[in-house]
Amino acid sequence: MRNPRVGWALLSPTLIILLIFGFAPFLYVLVVGFFDWNVFSAQDGLVFSGLDNFRRLVFDELFLTSVGLTIRFAVFAIGSEIVLGFVLAQMLTRNFPGKSLFRIIHTFPLMVAPIAVGAVWRLLVIPGFGPVPYFLDRWFDLTYQIGSYPDQALMTSVIMDVWHWTPFVTLTMLAGLSSIPREPVEQAKVDGANRLQVFWYVTLPFLRPVLLTTVFIRIMDAIRTVDEVWMLAGGGPGTRFSGIYIWRVTSPAASADWGYGSAVSLITLYLTIVLCWLLFIAISGRRKGEVE
Amino acid sequence: MTTSPRRRFWRYFSTYAFWALMTLITLIPIWWMLVVSMRTRVELFGRPNLMLSRIYLENYSNVLTDSTFQRYMTNSLVVSTANALLVMILALLATYALSRYKLAGRDNIFFWLITNRMAPPAAFLLPLYIMFTRTFRLGDWTLFDTQLGLILLYCVFNLPFAIWLLKGVVDGIPIELDDAAMIDGAGLWGVLRHVIIPLAAPGLAVTGILSWIFAWNEYLFAANLTSVVARTITTALAEFVTVTGTNWGELAAMSMITLVPSAIIVIFAQRYIVMGLTFGAVKE
Amino acid sequence: MKKCFTIVLLIAFALVANMSLVSADDMWWADAAAPYAGTTIRGVSESTPPSNYVADVLAAQFTELTGINVEFETTSWDQMYSKAINDMEANTGIYDFVYIEQDIIYSYLAQDYLVNLTQFAADNMDLASADYDEMAFTSFADYFKNADGDLFGVPMEAFVKVYLYRKDLFEDADIMAAFEEEYGYPLAPAETFEQYADNAMFFTAYGEMMDMDLWGTTVQGSTGHPASTYEFLESIGPSFGLYNWGINLDAGSAQSANGGALDGDTAVEALSFWLSMLPYAPPEATSSTWDEVASSFAAGRAAQGWVYGENAAWIATDESRSAVTGNVGVRLPVTAPGVIEAAQMGEGYIGYYDGGAFGIPHSSRNKEATLLWLQFIGQPAVQAEWAAAGARITHTATFDDPLIAEQDMKVDGYYTLLEEQGPLFAGAPPFPFHAQVREIIDPFIQRAILGELSPADALSQAAMAVDEELARLGYGM
Repeated sequence: MRNPRVGWALLSPTLIILLIFGFAPFLYVLVVGFFDWNVFSAQDGLVFSGLDNFRRLVFDELFLTSVGLTIRFAVFAIGSEIVLGFVLAQMLTRNFPGKSLFRIIHTFPLMVAPIAVGAVWRLLVIPGFGPVPYFLDRWFDLTYQIGSYPDQALMTSVIMDVWHWTPFVTLTMLAGLSSIPREPVEQAKVDGANRLQVFWYVTLPFLRPVLLTTVFIRIMDAIRTVDEVWMLAGGGPGTRFSGIYIWRVTSPAASADWGYGSAVSLITLYLTIVLCWLLFIAISGRRKGEVE
Repeated sequence: MTTSPRRRFWRYFSTYAFWALMTLITLIPIWWMLVVSMRTRVELFGRPNLMLSRIYLENYSNVLTDSTFQRYMTNSLVVSTANALLVMILALLATYALSRYKLAGRDNIFFWLITNRMAPPAAFLLPLYIMFTRTFRLGDWTLFDTQLGLILLYCVFNLPFAIWLLKGVVDGIPIELDDAAMIDGAGLWGVLRHVIIPLAAPGLAVTGILSWIFAWNEYLFAANLTSVVARTITTALAEFVTVTGTNWGELAAMSMITLVPSAIIVIFAQRYIVMGLTFGAVKE
Repeated sequence: MKKCFTIVLLIAFALVANMSLVSADDMWWADAAAPYAGTTIRGVSESTPPSNYVADVLAAQFTELTGINVEFETTSWDQMYSKAINDMEANTGIYDFVYIEQDIIYSYLAQDYLVNLTQFAADNMDLASADYDEMAFTSFADYFKNADGDLFGVPMEAFVKVYLYRKDLFEDADIMAAFEEEYGYPLAPAETFEQYADNAMFFTAYGEMMDMDLWGTTVQGSTGHPASTYEFLESIGPSFGLYNWGINLDAGSAQSANGGALDGDTAVEALSFWLSMLPYAPPEATSSTWDEVASSFAAGRAAQGWVYGENAAWIATDESRSAVTGNVGVRLPVTAPGVIEAAQMGEGYIGYYDGGAFGIPHSSRNKEATLLWLQFIGQPAVQAEWAAAGARITHTATFDDPLIAEQDMKVDGYYTLLEEQGPLFAGAPPFPFHAQVREIIDPFIQRAILGELSPADALSQAAMAVDEELARLGYGM
């Protein structure tokens, strides 16, 4: 009754756009990754270099630092966002006057363009015009200089990301929570489960698809991050996330090492895909159980 | 379930205290942006003052009366709106196909669609640049520096997200409803119009809104793939950072202005966002 | 009624003045441009005051004269590079003229991106304006020429990085007395590095004592931006006698064992001195790029410092942006003994002559129209007002313009310094791999600023990394 051809026809515009603007550039990057192509080198154009770029990458201290930092950034930021987002969503399931106002205010950061977020956080934290270092110094006698302390720079980026993206997590969690059926929860309570047990055995399994999807999306975006952190600290110290690192390697303003930059992006993409694939299996495994 | 007035008071009190704190934290950076946007360049330095000392609107008037700003704003509005509409339509068709038809390698296609969002955008700038300037060229016309180029390109990161979001929604619509409509003589379009779209409306709305926001906020592609004609508002923000000093006041003023359209949309569509973001979580 | 009459009179005057000034030229521009009228040429540049003047004022004038439209994209520094290089490398022909930052010119020449303007004008005599003369430019134009002396870019802005100090502080009687009591010699703008350090220490202590937001020096020490490497390699290094980034191009090495100097004693001394100034710089120094150094100084947060010349004028005169107007002193940067003498003999330089030019990419499809445009902005008649708007001077004749002479007074003789001492400064070393190798050095300088590496370690590791990169790029040993 349902002709697959119709299905393909419906899918085709999406496939065509993504093949042209997503897959073709990917193929290009894939090919260039095996070439030596640097705008500023003595030889012109592309020279096939096999796995040289990938070999170099394994020993590139900066790249490895950037991977390490990205992982730390992602774990800290996404971890905090999930916990905070869940708590906030839980609070929003209750009814109290003025709830929607608080919810709307809470979603404000989502609407600020990343580049503006970076700019405003820079204005908050740079000594000389930022109130944060000033008051930390005045009230708590703390030295706060993101230019001088890599850990502070990383933490500032994490806090900025949490500020910017927790609302997104709150919304998805809220959607997830509000679609949990009431009966299992009531049943569990009748059976004498305490709040923690209800959360662990009832709420969490129902939330799992939403939770994983949210994590998935946040991981993809955290690794891609360029604008925000670049505007905040220009990519250093301690903030050379892979997105920024790739941008710096391939940016003609810096090095225009397009061959090597392609190799770096391929590896980053590969790592992201593997990570996401694992999550995807976790999600779809659950889905199959439901449908069939 | 009777609670004493005293307990009720404390519960309300703690709820409001908590939300007041969250609101404060949320608003401080935005408030600071507002404060900066109302300061002259000289006033920005020195001992930080979190209060507005006076209403100074010159940064706003400078930005608003600039004709390039108006062009950038129009571009941003056109690009984000067109992209959001396109994404809604394509994603609905695609998810319907993935959900209702037995297509070979369906799961793999779905996963591949999603991976398009994972690509680090910086790496794709060069191939996209070449594609925009040389591949898509008709005489003097190129895709480079056109609104169309950005509208199509933004699908790369918005479509995966949208398809993912809608997949759960469409999967959640019982297939029996389709069949019933078909027995009543509805064709494919009839089913989409009378069954899928009404039931998926909240999901579609949230897809559109979030796509719109993502497109509105995008910087890197817009900065690299437009020149004069199709530049968007976010690229203008970066222009304030120059070797002879960053005009923070105007940058903040422009940021505040760019916040307005998305704020309006989100405030009006707040209800749909929560309803739509269910990602196929179980519905009762 | 009277007002009306005055206005009419003014307009009439303006018209007459206009006609008498440019009528002959007008004819020539219109004639020469006749075949290209109606075409549109596109360019890209960084959004700086001089560029914005070109976009807002000169482009309109040119279009009116010739009928050639100029579409001018002003964007951020990174974007400007990306766009220009992508365009030229991919040969797309989007841009008819591009901004060439002085330090990237040798890379562009090596890649053969640019049209030889001298040659092109000679081949198209009917397009050569009588008002445009390559020889009229300051010595800055020398840094846009190839080995044969042919010009590849029309200089549009040029500055030198100078020593700025706060006159109100340095000439305050109480402060002078306090300084002399403590250090045993009179307070003055620094001429030696010891004196510079004393000044820096003194004013930092003074700021603390008076509970003022005042420090002794600026440091362009951003740990997330190439600006810090640039300050070290282009300003601090040369003033100690470390030239050409310590890279010996013939030997293809930066290591002193192979004829380089990046890890040599001079370099270590220079880096150590520069880093020793960090405690006396405002706390934002480690986040400061070029514009933020200027902003700090303009906010009155530093008593002295190294500041790019494009900022000197607005810091000294623009009250809407600067808190220290009227109190800015301008001097040559501090140098080690013998460095000035070496520079005078042409055996070195004392700092960076920065700026940029407009050139025509080979991929341009409107080279003739663009040549007219570049000559238009390169002619003497447009220079003075442009200089007043953007504090940039590229023509020797501009210095004598009354408009500039008047400005010169307000900026404590910056323009005189540029005119007389300009030749002591030099453009970037003629490296075809400029940005690439700078990117290699960046992390080491940044780690030295963070204190993770000692100056000696940072430089020796940097020199090693540079050598590796040079070999990879095909310029090495």
